[in-house]
Amino acid sequence: MKPNKSSPRKAKPCIHAKDLVLGYALGKQINPIASGISFELFHGELTCLMGPNGVGKSTLLKAIMSQNLPINGEIWFGETSASQMSDLVRAQNIAVVLTEKIRSGLMTVRELVALGRSPHTGLWGHLSAADNAFVNQVLELTHLGDIAEKRLSQLSDGQRQTAMIARALAQDSNIMVLDEPTAHLDLTNRFDIMYLLKKLAKEAGKAILVVTHDLEVAMETADQLWIMATKEPLVAGSPEDLMLEGHLQKLLPGEKWEIDSGNGKIRLKTPSTLPEISGPEHLTYWVKNALRKNIEIPMPDKIVVSQNPFEIIIFSEQNYFTFSRISEMIRFLKN
Amino acid sequence: MSHRFKFTCALILVVILWLLNISLGSISIPIEALLKRLAGVPFPRESWEIIVMDYRIPKSMTAILAGIALSVSGLQMQTFFRNPLAGPFVLGISSGAGLGVALLVMAGTAFGWQLFAGTSYWSVILASSAGAIGVLVLMGLAAWKVKDSMTLLIVGLMFGSAASAIVTLLSFFSAAEELKLFTLWSMGNLGNTGWSELGLLSGAILIGVTMVVFSVKSYNAMLLGEAYAKSMGINFQKLRWIMIVSTGILTGGITAFCGPIAFIGIAVPHLARLLFKTNDHRILFPATAILGILVLLACDTLSQMPGHASSLPINAVTTAFGAPLIIWLIMRRNFSEAF
Repeated sequence: MKPNKSSPRKAKPCIHAKDLVLGYALGKQINPIASGISFELFHGELTCLMGPNGVGKSTLLKAIMSQNLPINGEIWFGETSASQMSDLVRAQNIAVVLTEKIRSGLMTVRELVALGRSPHTGLWGHLSAADNAFVNQVLELTHLGDIAEKRLSQLSDGQRQTAMIARALAQDSNIMVLDEPTAHLDLTNRFDIMYLLKKLAKEAGKAILVVTHDLEVAMETADQLWIMATKEPLVAGSPEDLMLEGHLQKLLPGEKWEIDSGNGKIRLKTPSTLPEISGPEHLTYWVKNALRKNIEIPMPDKIVVSQNPFEIIIFSEQNYFTFSRISEMIRFLKN
Repeated sequence: MSHRFKFTCALILVVILWLLNISLGSISIPIEALLKRLAGVPFPRESWEIIVMDYRIPKSMTAILAGIALSVSGLQMQTFFRNPLAGPFVLGISSGAGLGVALLVMAGTAFGWQLFAGTSYWSVILASSAGAIGVLVLMGLAAWKVKDSMTLLIVGLMFGSAASAIVTLLSFFSAAEELKLFTLWSMGNLGNTGWSELGLLSGAILIGVTMVVFSVKSYNAMLLGEAYAKSMGINFQKLRWIMIVSTGILTGGITAFCGPIAFIGIAVPHLARLLFKTNDHRILFPATAILGILVLLACDTLSQMPGHASSLPINAVTTAFGAPLIIWLIMRRNFSEAF
């Protein structure tokens, strides 16, 4: 199989596959999980893989890492097929960050990062001067220099995840695959990690594939989105295109939730029973937000919001009432 | 404190303990006499020559070999299975060896037939090796069939339980003196190995340890778990076979000659992590080996009960004196973080 000729880009993808069928073989029975998986991963781009739980994202990652071969089809690394790659060559091409938590609390950050050099070191894993220089470079790039001698048990979750990414970086592969790297992190750490990955894609020219459930961060940082939905082929494209083409809605199967195409936020699907709200947009947004959360209460006919001083006026059956806080208005409407 | 300093201290301690081990016992032999004998001056009494050369030195050498073999196997198991409770016997090797010896010693009464004319020293070793190898072959088949290491661990434990159940049955039907013979074997004994057996044993240990030396890099990668190790190009299947064969040779060899020696294999790797404060196997393997020697030499010295005519079974000492020590060390620091 040759690279997809219909690709509009000049650059060659570093990994590509066409019409993969993924799944597990249990004894003689084959359980397909996802089919029609075609993709291209490019150097210098941050790609986010999204999709509901159980749709086969981890299976796809395992296929790319050759830990679980596709039932049908081949994954190609440039001109080499994944199944023909030796473990060592694969390790020099792909580095991973997985979801499993590692213990080894006595290990220092530097030792962890140095482990990433494994595919390049000799029999005993001794680091050459060049290896050490590389490890230092990685520590600097990821801003871990100050805590390089700290033990893993002393790190915060964010630092730990950054250290795991640094380990993958030290592997010096041109592809990095990360499975939910921001899952347990707080808001700033989530953005920090994703911007670090984006920087690595841009500056080091790596192809980075990230599985994430974090739509907000993905919209903000990803160059490409891959959307997997149950029983549907993988859809790829820029986040903006996919939003406008309505593909992101596939992330929310069922009737309950929808994506606000104005800002990319997920919200409850609401029948259009919100009253007319006028006023500055950044104020009406939050009034709407509060009303949407309390959609069951009786709604007024019209709401006017003004600022300096902040004031909400609601009109209801010839009467009007004023409030200085949104919560007061909601409490009033509830009674 | 640097690792070099710690290793130097440990080595000096080993030498001191080794001399003490040879010097103390039912008959106390002064250390000056020992040192002089090493320099070529004969002992003032002929009986000392026999006690030291034919009994105490081979016994101390056995303790040293067993200390290395059991603790190194234990560390391999703990890292491979990423389980702090794993030890050299989790793959059922001691139970298999026990079953072999039980069949030899007790099955005569139970089944009404005679397996061997007598229960000579070598027939016990053969029976024990046969049992250990039998379990290893079963484990090999299991390892070939299942790919998941947790499953392998459980299969090993189940093989062990099954073998123990048969041993229990045999003990139930056996005669009292046979039962005592078997019980004595199961308490462990470092003193049965003479010079010729020592040669064989050290050969086996050398092979087992060499296999480990050439896989330290893989064991370091295994610190991050199987999936990461594979992603770093480690040949996981190869490492699994190295682990099974090497612990088989190390633990099986020691169990055949000394019986099942408890506790060392699980505890010493933890001790090494606590004292050397590292997870790097290039440090941990030698550290575990040297601490294994230290602990077992110390236990053996205690078991000789200096000044008394009799000695205690080694298993009772390793557990009764070693376990509280390790519990104290482990409680002092956050042990699960260190693992």
